Amino acid sequence: MIQLISVSKVFPNGFEALSNVDIHIGRDEFVFVVGPSGSGKTTLMKLLYREELPTSGQLIIDKINIVELRPQQVPYLRRNMGVVFQDFKLLPRRTIYENVAFALQVVGKPRSIIRRQVSLALELVGLQNKSGSFPKDLSGGEQQRACIARAIVNNPPLLLADEPTGNLDPTTSWEIINLLDKINKRKTTVIVSTHNKSVVDIMRKRVVALEGGRIVRDEQLGVYTNSK
Amino acid sequence: MSFVAVGTVIVSLTIFGVFLMGVVNVGSIVGTISSNVQVSAYVDKNINRAEIDHIKNRISMLRGVANVRYTSREDAWEKFKSEYGYKLKLDDIVTNNPLPDTFIIEVEIPELVSSVAKQVAGMDDISEVRYSGKLLDQVQSLASAVRIGGLILVGMLSVATLLIVINTIRLTVIAREKDISIMKLVGATNTFIKWPFIIEGIMIGTIGSGISLAILKMSYDVIIFQLSQALPFLPLISDFRQLFAIYLIVACVGIFLGMLGGYISVSKSLKEFR
Repeated sequence: MIQLISVSKVFPNGFEALSNVDIHIGRDEFVFVVGPSGSGKTTLMKLLYREELPTSGQLIIDKINIVELRPQQVPYLRRNMGVVFQDFKLLPRRTIYENVAFALQVVGKPRSIIRRQVSLALELVGLQNKSGSFPKDLSGGEQQRACIARAIVNNPPLLLADEPTGNLDPTTSWEIINLLDKINKRKTTVIVSTHNKSVVDIMRKRVVALEGGRIVRDEQLGVYTNSK
Repeated sequence: MSFVAVGTVIVSLTIFGVFLMGVVNVGSIVGTISSNVQVSAYVDKNINRAEIDHIKNRISMLRGVANVRYTSREDAWEKFKSEYGYKLKLDDIVTNNPLPDTFIIEVEIPELVSSVAKQVAGMDDISEVRYSGKLLDQVQSLASAVRIGGLILVGMLSVATLLIVINTIRLTVIAREKDISIMKLVGATNTFIKWPFIIEGIMIGTIGSGISLAILKMSYDVIIFQLSQALPFLPLISDFRQLFAIYLIVACVGIFLGMLGGYISVSKSLKEFR
């Protein structure tokens, strides 16, 4: 489903965030991307949702080289993926329902469809009783679940989560990761970048480790740190 | 929405409307003058009946003259008082008849007015000749000055208005930066994102032009009334159809400026938010 071929990213100030990265991620996989700060995790995520362009290399998602997309085609790429961030990015003056519905409104879905899909998404993340609340009325974990609901409301084949538990306590972090696992079991490819060692070690999913912009480890049933 | 932006639109469009009305009215005066095929020849001394007939015959024989009419100073004064006396209260202003004996010469075509006037001016007993040509040159110069000066002023004001609208919308875009970034994240196209800001620009233009039209209409009605009292012979525009066209142009320019400002502002800002 996703293929990075010799992808490098050098920023204008000369910093090489990624260097010759080759990854292949299959459909319905669950992948942790781990590494210390500055290793290139966030840059990798930004390349995947076309927030950044690679300096060199190819990036193929579902047989489309997204590097070659024109700017006006990028919205259509993003409609096929959900993105979740560490800082939630909810609209503070809209209710949870409206925040989730927003993702369907911008693609022109009719109200009846929006109502149905938003209800399903909120039920999946366990926020069906909070649809009328505002973000400030929710805990950190609940806000992140609302973001996940927005990310999956239009059933995208791919979900990207960039440090989704970065601002959460351990218990809540577990809830979020379990939710992402549940979504993955519903046939969505999930890629999570994280610092959360305990979660990675217990989940035993595929782990891609980055260091200095390079892949140093890529193993199925992996752990955060290779003790070898 | 910024009061400054709306206020700037009001000022610019009001001046633009004044310029348009000035051009149209001066054009009307020019048109009236240039279609006038009359030459007036004045006699400043007393002449008898035989002399009147002699002058009349000489003028009639000139090429291009269609008709010659003699009006004595007494008849001219009575006619003037009957047409304008009630408006100008002449008896309070003038006690002696200021008008001369006049030969009113109808020329066949406007192009011959100047040559007939020159020939009549060369005749004995004729003290002064007046015809539309001299006044026409002066009014046409005025019309050109109004057009050129107005165009420059309106051009500068339009640029200033556009810049203020752009800046106003930009502040709104910046205030909604978070909303816009989330819109882009969930797959909104640039067109979807731009439309609310373009509509805001249109609103600024619409409100501004509505208020400026109200100012223009009220001011013009008052000015026309006053001018028609003071200068009743001036062919000023009061036909609703011609005025409606001016108002429509002003409204369209205002809405266009608002829309253009909104579009430019949000397009520039979106390039900065990737």
